[in-house]
Amino acid sequence: MFERSTNVWLRLKALFNRRRLDRDLDEEIRFHLAMREQKQREMGLSTEAARYATQQRFGNVTLVKERTREMHTFLTVESLWQDVRWAARGLRKSPGFLATVVLSLALGIGANSTMFSVINALMYRPLPYFDPGSLMVIWEFEQGHPESEEGPPIAELVDWNTQNHVFEDIALTSDTEGEPMAGLGEPEMIHQQFVTPNFFSVLRVKPVLGRIFSKGEMQDRSQAVVISHSFWEERFSKDPKAIGKAFQIAGVESTVVGIMPSGFAPFYGQKIDLWVPINPESARYSERKDRGWLMPIGRLKPGVTRGQAQVEMNLIERRLEQEYPRSNTGVRAKVLPLQEAVFGWARALYPLLGAVAFVLLIACLNVANLLQSRTEARRKEQAIRGSLGAPRRRLIQQVLIESGLLALLGGTLGVGFALLGIQLFRNLAENFPNTGAISIDGRVLLFTLSVSLLTAMLFGLGPAVQASRPDLNATLREGGHRTSAGARGRMRNVLAVSEVAFAMVLLIGAGLMINTVLHLTQVNPGFDPTNVMVARISLPEGGKYLERVPGGDMEKVTPLVTAFYRRLLEKLSVVPEIESVGMMSGMAREISFSVLGHPAPPPENRPSAVYQEASASLLETLRIPLKKGRFLRDSDRENMPWAAVVNETFARRYFPNENPIGQRVLLRHESYHVDEERPREIVGVIGDVRTFGLRENVPPMVYSSYLQQSAIYPGGCVLSHLSQDVVARLGLGSSSQNNFASIIKKAAQKIDLDQPVTTIMAMSRHLADSIDDFRLIMRLLEIFAGMALLLAIVGIYGVMSYFVSERIHEIGIRMALGAERWNVLALVTKLGLKLTVIGVATGAVLAVWLARLITRFLYGVSPADPTTLVVVGLVLATIALLACYIPAHRATKVDPVLALRHE
Amino acid sequence: MKEKNKNTGELLRDTLDMLILKALSRGAMHGYGIAEVIGQASEEVLRVDEGALYPALHRLELRGLLTAEWGVSENNRRAKYYRLTAAGRRALGEESARWGRMAAAISRVMETA
Repeated sequence: MFERSTNVWLRLKALFNRRRLDRDLDEEIRFHLAMREQKQREMGLSTEAARYATQQRFGNVTLVKERTREMHTFLTVESLWQDVRWAARGLRKSPGFLATVVLSLALGIGANSTMFSVINALMYRPLPYFDPGSLMVIWEFEQGHPESEEGPPIAELVDWNTQNHVFEDIALTSDTEGEPMAGLGEPEMIHQQFVTPNFFSVLRVKPVLGRIFSKGEMQDRSQAVVISHSFWEERFSKDPKAIGKAFQIAGVESTVVGIMPSGFAPFYGQKIDLWVPINPESARYSERKDRGWLMPIGRLKPGVTRGQAQVEMNLIERRLEQEYPRSNTGVRAKVLPLQEAVFGWARALYPLLGAVAFVLLIACLNVANLLQSRTEARRKEQAIRGSLGAPRRRLIQQVLIESGLLALLGGTLGVGFALLGIQLFRNLAENFPNTGAISIDGRVLLFTLSVSLLTAMLFGLGPAVQASRPDLNATLREGGHRTSAGARGRMRNVLAVSEVAFAMVLLIGAGLMINTVLHLTQVNPGFDPTNVMVARISLPEGGKYLERVPGGDMEKVTPLVTAFYRRLLEKLSVVPEIESVGMMSGMAREISFSVLGHPAPPPENRPSAVYQEASASLLETLRIPLKKGRFLRDSDRENMPWAAVVNETFARRYFPNENPIGQRVLLRHESYHVDEERPREIVGVIGDVRTFGLRENVPPMVYSSYLQQSAIYPGGCVLSHLSQDVVARLGLGSSSQNNFASIIKKAAQKIDLDQPVTTIMAMSRHLADSIDDFRLIMRLLEIFAGMALLLAIVGIYGVMSYFVSERIHEIGIRMALGAERWNVLALVTKLGLKLTVIGVATGAVLAVWLARLITRFLYGVSPADPTTLVVVGLVLATIALLACYIPAHRATKVDPVLALRHE
Repeated sequence: MKEKNKNTGELLRDTLDMLILKALSRGAMHGYGIAEVIGQASEEVLRVDEGALYPALHRLELRGLLTAEWGVSENNRRAKYYRLTAAGRRALGEESARWGRMAAAISRVMETA
């Protein structure tokens, strides 16, 4: 009943008048004791007896004071605060300890926060759109192959939107694509997305100026475009008159109708300049053959769950299967949250989060070890406080507060390290998506705080438990001498072994990645990339290079395309800096084929290959070995029999027992099921080349001359003709890697003033970029392993030093009895060796078990690679033993006399 | 630790609170005086650990049932005097009524059983 109302004001006052309160209480109790003592004396007791009786009646004075003081505190806030101050004072007195602990924790926590920020920016932070939780991506897939995620044919969007009851609206969007732009200063590639007109309303963004697309608007001879805020700034200096301005994109007259707010960029945070409308109701798409290049995004109606949407989409897909068997047989749909669809791949990074957790774990073990020594040194103090009546709760609280304080200090500094870490990550990960969005937000801070507190629990628990069982008598009697050293010694050994083991795990991870990258860089690209430059030229799809064939999604190229490239190659081949110049399709594409005179392949399982156009000079420029027959020639012209060259993989796979030379194949554009108009004769076999990237397996390839191409292409197939990569081998000793850019730009603009040239880079750089992810993971694991190694060395050094200082007495006796230096050295080293070997072995087992998690990042090396295990094990053991050597050496310098006197 | 106190000490603590309030109903008094009154009035049967008075006194003060001020004692020493507040007087009324009912009930049970 008395619990109810408490006078908060008095308590607050007490909190600030701490000292006065204490003085008052002391005086109050002193008065009581004096009165009682006087009374006892009056009753005839001696002074001594009176004092004794008074004590008896009053009870434990310290305890009473403590209990009374507690009355004045908010629950235990005040005693907490007192302990915090107490702990802070204690820590200030040992700056070395403080610095070591805080620094190791900050390193560990900082690394964790950095990795978490990276993953947070991709997976946890809600996407920057209105109610992002209700945005879903609807992928189609072939029944039985849920991983074959594809967008629907464009026309299908109309069916989806009319038939479903679960989505407010569904829109389509392409990836960001580069297109040449002209009529607005220097010709350049701009980044655009094709979107259906409802795209902006699905994402609930409104233009800051102008309008968004209206229903039915689409690209044709001219088009409306909505531009991004950054494009508006760069190109129009935020001039409101930008609305209505026109320029050419890929040869199509484009008029600005709207401007998006700043920061609006679907979906990867890449650069985006403008949006171009697609009308899904257009007759152009009625054939439903254009599956796969657009991503559908729907906004769920309020209250509709993803599960309900899935059920509805299943129903609709069945209906479409009946209605459009040609395009939809066996096609199913799955509904995924947008964030999952766009950034779900980032889960592959979880093992890295695991790796940094190991680093932190090692740091914690170190701190636990240090804290242990500190607690032992303070056992006497604890015991005295305990015997004076300090409640055990307070003693535990005291220890936990100290660890909490250390952890929070470590966490705070860790946030600072994380800021640096994020910067470092950005530098390491040039091609990583969305690095601009990586930042320390509330979620990261919360994560850091939780991790800090968790670490406090981890390393503070041991000492806290000890504080809870102060063996008062033993401790006080032994005058602070260490008790039960055996048990705690074992504890320390376990700590040291674990540290070595965890460091071993990370070192092996790093070792495997280094091995992987070594393997990848030694992969033979199949050609000689030295001094080779590559530049992409994409002729615009609209305008003079292309005519749309009425009816259906077919496009006819004009002779200007081949003319452009022939002239370009001619111009470049006479440039003195260029030793040799060749060309191949910038966009390879998939074909299937049938062999004339062979039985027709089953329609659902046709042999397939990757197809690229090439110039006759490609072979010589890239120094690709010719294996059989001949390569393409400039004499392979339109009016000659069409020729094709295949690579070795192709020959091996499709003509294992026959000579491929002389075989005639009819190529078919996939996925449009349209055959080329004439068959091609295979005239040669060349070596496999990895121009796409080092990690890729080389697919079967077919090359044909850019001079021998059909004029009519279905859908997007024309891109492999319009867009070409020019490769040029520069003369040795020419310093003209940079000159090359201006040479090729000038050459291109001499033919067509509006033609931009993009992605000009060294071939070797392109190849290096292709294994970027592997390098990134390698670098990160190297850093983590380095930190782990450093922390583990500090740890094992600490344990060994402690071992020596604890045995100093014993060592003194041994030496006094005639032990040699090497005996002492052996005594210490034996323990070090034992700990190291057990640690390395345990770590090896753990590492082999955990390496499965990073298999996808490994190339040419097995997760249990014995060489890596042995080398890493030896290196770690050597370093660990060196860390033991210093304390061991010190042990041999012990002066027996001093040691024996040492109490 | 705190929990244990609550369970076993609840009755005792509330009773001690009540005895303190009762003792103070005669007028302002210091801690020692209260201990004496409780001891004498109960003919030394209820002789609590005198120390236990102080947490209780401070608790009651913080709850606004008592006020305290420093004064001078009968032997000319500085002493802290406690006095009932209106709320304290009310609480004492309620408590002693409750206690009366309970004591009566208990003694009935003890007699009949």
